[in-house]
Amino acid sequence: MVDVAPAPAPAHRRGPRPPAPPGPEREAARAAARRGALIGLPPLVTMVLLFAVPLGIVAVYSVATRGRTGRTELADWNLDAYARLLEPLVLEIAGRSLGYAALTTLLCLAIGYPFAYWLTTRRPGVRAVLLVLVMLPFWSNFLVRTYAWRVLLGSDGPIVTALAAVGLGEVRLLFTPFAVVLGLVYGYLPFMVLPLYSSLERLDLRLVEAARDLGATGWEAFRRVTWPLSRPGVVAGSVLVFIPSFGAYVTPELLGGSRTTLVGSFVVRQFLSARDWPFGSALSMAILVVMLAATVAYFRAQERRS
Amino acid sequence: MHRGAPRLSATAGTVPAVSLRRVTKRFPETRLDDEVVAVDELDLDVTDGEFFALLGPSGCGKTTTLRMVAGFEFPTEGSVHIHGTEMGRRPPDRRPVNTVFQSYALFPHMTVAENVAFGLRMRDVARDEARRRVAEAIELVQLRGRDGAMPGDLSGGQQQRVALARALVNRPKVLLLDEPLGALDLRLREAMQVELKQLQALLGITFVHVTHDQEEALAMSDRLAVMDAGRLVQVGTPAEVYERPRTRFVAEFLGDANLLTAEAVDAERVRLPDGTVVRIASGRSAGAAVHLSLRPEQLDLVAAGTPVEPHLDAVEGTVARIGYFGSAIEYDVALDTGGPEVLVTARLGNARGVVARTVGERVRMRWTPDSVTVLED
Repeated sequence: MVDVAPAPAPAHRRGPRPPAPPGPEREAARAAARRGALIGLPPLVTMVLLFAVPLGIVAVYSVATRGRTGRTELADWNLDAYARLLEPLVLEIAGRSLGYAALTTLLCLAIGYPFAYWLTTRRPGVRAVLLVLVMLPFWSNFLVRTYAWRVLLGSDGPIVTALAAVGLGEVRLLFTPFAVVLGLVYGYLPFMVLPLYSSLERLDLRLVEAARDLGATGWEAFRRVTWPLSRPGVVAGSVLVFIPSFGAYVTPELLGGSRTTLVGSFVVRQFLSARDWPFGSALSMAILVVMLAATVAYFRAQERRS
Repeated sequence: MHRGAPRLSATAGTVPAVSLRRVTKRFPETRLDDEVVAVDELDLDVTDGEFFALLGPSGCGKTTTLRMVAGFEFPTEGSVHIHGTEMGRRPPDRRPVNTVFQSYALFPHMTVAENVAFGLRMRDVARDEARRRVAEAIELVQLRGRDGAMPGDLSGGQQQRVALARALVNRPKVLLLDEPLGALDLRLREAMQVELKQLQALLGITFVHVTHDQEEALAMSDRLAVMDAGRLVQVGTPAEVYERPRTRFVAEFLGDANLLTAEAVDAERVRLPDGTVVRIASGRSAGAAVHLSLRPEQLDLVAAGTPVEPHLDAVEGTVARIGYFGSAIEYDVALDTGGPEVLVTARLGNARGVVARTVGERVRMRWTPDSVTVLED
């Protein structure tokens, strides 16, 4: 053997903690820490004010009481709102939301993966243009774009008219589950494409060549090399699509019908029409916990695999 | 002056392991509609069982040539045969060759054993046999006990061994190596040169080794081909190519050479810039300017005025510079031309008894006439 053994770690790294550096070095470390705190302060303040505080308010409201008039009374703290989460209607809406979100994620993956892969095979200049095109919809308002779909899918819109012209009869598209899933896929596809692209772009194409060289067909090389190595992108993209799809409000509200109520609309209804803020807050907390748990579990599973 | 028995290319009756016939590869130029010729009408035969090196500077087309044998690229024109079978547009998974990639291309998500077993798995080798062959291959490259390690946890040298085992376990008819030692440090590289050579001799598999390192090619190969700008410049044993470079490019690319312009006197003699007439091996017509190559280590220095024995040729000059390299000393000697200075370098082994010269000293430089190679350009 000619291999050089890996160098042993420096002795002090083995101990539980490195000894504090003496005098001037400690002073320098402190100065660096101070500078770090200064840089970290603005985002910290922003996060606390705009995220932690509102979340705390929601948590407080979820254990408050709804008065007769619908006014929330910050008294008689109870968990009644949480008990109502298991009512059949809530479970039905939650189940439907999960189903729509899962379908949206799968469709985004099915469309986004080949597209992201194709993107990585383009020349750098073309790639940059295509990436900008992927992000282009973000430059206009989401609400406006969703309204555009209403026009496109409407009963006298171009798609229905065209379908009627080729003899497919009167097809109803708007206010159907199809319209909702279409709108969700349209809205969240970039969130799938971008992480997939960045993970596929990093993939060393020589690995695919190595697999082919060792007798793998194109499909086998994809299954055993490309797919497993792009899994971080698949996971990130799926999480990024699944979570907003699950809580989506605008799309199902504008493109769906009364029978396609999803959790987002349901929560909004509690606040605006039913005036049941504790229940709405409890729903929000539940969604948050479920999503958080799902995300953590997903990433944990990925870590174990690699 | 030929060291070792010269090996000729494919002798009649034996099928070459790899055979390229008028292979041209053009790549579309990215910006313009022009094309880039990477490989230009290459004719090459690699004999079965030999260690063959493809040598050249980066961009000379050697890697493209290898990739066309592996099946990652297809020739624009011409044909590639492996053991007599035309490969056409056959994909890499259906060719009887395996590749050791530059920087190895090990699958980072698989253990050493899984990496090595990959090829057998793809070819549906029975589980028991596969396990035995994987163990053998890992043993062969001296990595026993590291079966379960991930490639990222191995040193560069160990990764190199895994790449070798992963290719060799499939018992390819030809092993293609693309700059396999390029990523290793000098000492490891030298040790791996010896090991690769021993492995090739042990297994008897044809190795086609692409490298830009001339010492590596000289030390390892049975025969080598020098490429430049997509064309084959010279093919031969290391001794043939080193001692009889065909062109200025080969003479300069392989080792150091004194390149001199001389004037042909008759078929056997040329006149050097200082007016000395010396002998050459091959004939040239009189009056024509010719380029000569003289290897520094073939030159000897003696005191000026030392009688020249009849079987030697010599010139006189003044020591202009001295380079001390420990095991060798180089003397740059200025010839007495009367015109611009012409320097000839002599490299003398620093052995006991070699007389050290000083700058400004008059010396006589001598050599045997067969050390003088007339170049084609």
